[in-house]
Amino acid sequence: MLLGIARRIVTMAITLFGVSIVIFVILRLLPGNAVTASMGVSAGLLTHAQLAALNHYYGIGQPAIEQFFSWLGSTLSGNLGISLASREPVSTLVGSALPVTLELTVMAMILGVIIGVGLGMLGGLKPGSWQDDIGQGVSVVGLAVPSFVIGTALVTVLSSAFHYFPSSEQYAGLFSNPWLNLQQVFFPALVLSLGIGAAIMRTTRAAVLEVRSLSFTRTATGKGVSRSALVCRHLFLNALVPIVTMSGIQLGYLLGGTVIVEQIFVLPGLGRLLVTSINNRDFPVVQSVTLIFAAGFVVVNLLVDVLYSVIDPRTRR
Amino acid sequence: MGRLRQHRMHQPSVQQLKMHQPKMHQLRAISAVAVAGGIAASLLGATIANAAPASKAVRSHSVKHASSSAPFVVADTSSVQKLDPDVITNFLDFQALGLVYDTLVEENAKLQIVPDLATSWAFSDGNKVLTFQLRKGVKFDDGSTFTSADAVASLKRVIAPKTADASASFIASVKQILPDGTYGLKLVLSHSDVSVLEGLTSVNLAMLPASAISSGSIAKKPDGTGPYEYASWSPGNSFTIKANPYYWGPKPKIAEIKFETIPSEQSIASALEAHSVQLGLLTEPTVANHLPSTYKVDKVLSLSYRALMLQDKTGPLANVDARRAIACATNRKQILGDAVFGQGQVSGPVPLGPFASNPVSSLCPTQNISQAKTYLKEAGYPNGFSFTAITSTDLDPTSAAQAIAMQSELAQAGITMNIQNLAGDAYIQQWLAGDFQAAFAENGADPDPYVMYGRYFGAGGNLATPAGYTSTAVQKLLLEGDEAASTTNQAKIWSALNANLTNNAVWIWLFDAYDYAAVAPGVKGFSLSPVTGTSLQALGTTSWSS
Repeated sequence: MLLGIARRIVTMAITLFGVSIVIFVILRLLPGNAVTASMGVSAGLLTHAQLAALNHYYGIGQPAIEQFFSWLGSTLSGNLGISLASREPVSTLVGSALPVTLELTVMAMILGVIIGVGLGMLGGLKPGSWQDDIGQGVSVVGLAVPSFVIGTALVTVLSSAFHYFPSSEQYAGLFSNPWLNLQQVFFPALVLSLGIGAAIMRTTRAAVLEVRSLSFTRTATGKGVSRSALVCRHLFLNALVPIVTMSGIQLGYLLGGTVIVEQIFVLPGLGRLLVTSINNRDFPVVQSVTLIFAAGFVVVNLLVDVLYSVIDPRTRR
Repeated sequence: MGRLRQHRMHQPSVQQLKMHQPKMHQLRAISAVAVAGGIAASLLGATIANAAPASKAVRSHSVKHASSSAPFVVADTSSVQKLDPDVITNFLDFQALGLVYDTLVEENAKLQIVPDLATSWAFSDGNKVLTFQLRKGVKFDDGSTFTSADAVASLKRVIAPKTADASASFIASVKQILPDGTYGLKLVLSHSDVSVLEGLTSVNLAMLPASAISSGSIAKKPDGTGPYEYASWSPGNSFTIKANPYYWGPKPKIAEIKFETIPSEQSIASALEAHSVQLGLLTEPTVANHLPSTYKVDKVLSLSYRALMLQDKTGPLANVDARRAIACATNRKQILGDAVFGQGQVSGPVPLGPFASNPVSSLCPTQNISQAKTYLKEAGYPNGFSFTAITSTDLDPTSAAQAIAMQSELAQAGITMNIQNLAGDAYIQQWLAGDFQAAFAENGADPDPYVMYGRYFGAGGNLATPAGYTSTAVQKLLLEGDEAASTTNQAKIWSALNANLTNNAVWIWLFDAYDYAAVAPGVKGFSLSPVTGTSLQALGTTSWSS
């Protein structure tokens, strides 16, 4: 098992190296640079001498290979560089944005699992019932309606009908003002959780239906096992592997989903930092944030694989 | 072993199961209660507690506003991107830093040049020398006194290539910058250039302390003489300023202003309705016009204009009559309606200010299809022609609507306009290289036609390539207008320039749209100005109560 984990960590490092190359190349292939991104068409007003000074300031014109290894070397040593737009250290910007996104992701995941597993279990245990119909309906809405539509609608309704939009106030830290923080993070997390919950719900329902049809369930029932024990210990535990797989996949996508939701709910997280930095062609920030997202994705996948071994010992071999 | 465990997991003994039953039952009950309670508490606590106006949350909010410590919040979709006033290009940067810094002269709401840190000025030596008398008793935020040394250092910094101030082109004619005593400044110009005064109104040419210039602290800690002083900056999120105790003018009534970034205008409207924002800066009429009536929506024509820029170097657009056919086939009022729901006005080359052009006097002020067809015949294209126009909805969300409306109008005359929508950066690259036949553009305007068009159509203009039109007659008019000493002469020259540009259908000038500021109840004395750098200047005298 340990060997397997070690192998996965090596694969993870190779994946991240590949991701870093792809990010670097894609950013350089985009038309424009930090000068045109920050000045727009006003860049045309610059004299040659001014343009040369700006190119030097932004490090434009250095060989791409040199830029890449310089950035990679610095990143590996913990130095994420300096933001071209704000001249702030990237680590400072990421350091203030990362906790926001982490909190949002964790809360969305918890809500998504509660919604998905809850409705999926209900549907799987009573297929065709009204509870199942509700679950199916919620899952269709969650899968079909994009998070930006639900988010925008929610913000509009809350602000128009209740004069309530806590996210528009300055972001409060979890420890500095927990009550305001929870209000600010709860609704975006709820929006994100609907999409996740829908996918988890469908997986859970299918897994429970499958496990219900297996012979050991009938045996347990025949032995007189109570319904609650049957559901929790037999059905749920045996349906857990696909649920964990789906949750892991959704957690990866969730990181991407925060980009839009953070914009709508005015949360100063990594997603918003990424969008702003892409618009500004702020390469050091974009590279670092994207790498963090990619690292998050592969780490989650690794954790899911480790969880398999815990849940299902057969996979340890 | 694994298989054995799996087997046990599937088929526990009844004894084992019974042993676990109460524990699991309890666990399930606790979990259910916790989950249900958590969701219910969050939802109910968060919404109901803030639902009714008399609710606790709203009451506490009101109390917070009434206290002097709560900042006045200005919301915009953009964020303050740089702190160095010499290199800013973002609209909000101008607005925010325009409250921190002063310039030698500024424009008032009528776009007239009025004193700021210079109390008076005079041209001499055939308009080749410009002398300023500087205001006395002005202090920077650090407490140091503003003198001619600061003015000289500030303008020298602007023209230094390494500063890369795009507005240096506004004072390109300045040959020498000299102090004239402690409170005097003399600019020696290479040629007669009265428009240099207009250039000096830009925040890009703000007055900075010489000490901060030499120490290089300008980009990190703004230090100006304006009504507000810098307090804090969170890149991408907020920018906060507080009342400047040393301010030479009327003391600001609002103690602290916070510019908060809210990425969408719909969210700004929501924040206004939630009472967490006092002033929302908007550009979308659909958002501005749907706010509750309790909000005052101040609108002002933007100091920018929309135009279809044409490249006259090759193809059918090189023919003046072909361009005139486009001008006559265009229904600008319809485009204004389609693009911004009629929220603006049809404009000529100079949309605002004392020399504003009258679009009614231009070639085909309203759509005239038969005249367009006549021009087409004269151009040698009796069956029409086709060309491609670029747009970028990244840069101007209304450009696609403009293009689609114009496409159908031109089709009525037999002209086919293909539309190519580009990503923002791709558009900028092609625009700067003049690599287009036609481009829908939102260009910055200025009350002074020379400042507006010298860079496009003047001899050696920095933007001659994207302008796509060269005419010695236009160059001559621009030069004469720049050198004209009297306003009467300038008015005649700029009128001739306007006629030349529109009669030759150099570009197709379309419209000028409104900018909006949604003002929350309790805010008094605020009005939006069309001038970029001073559009929020009224915040210096605005008062606010919950």
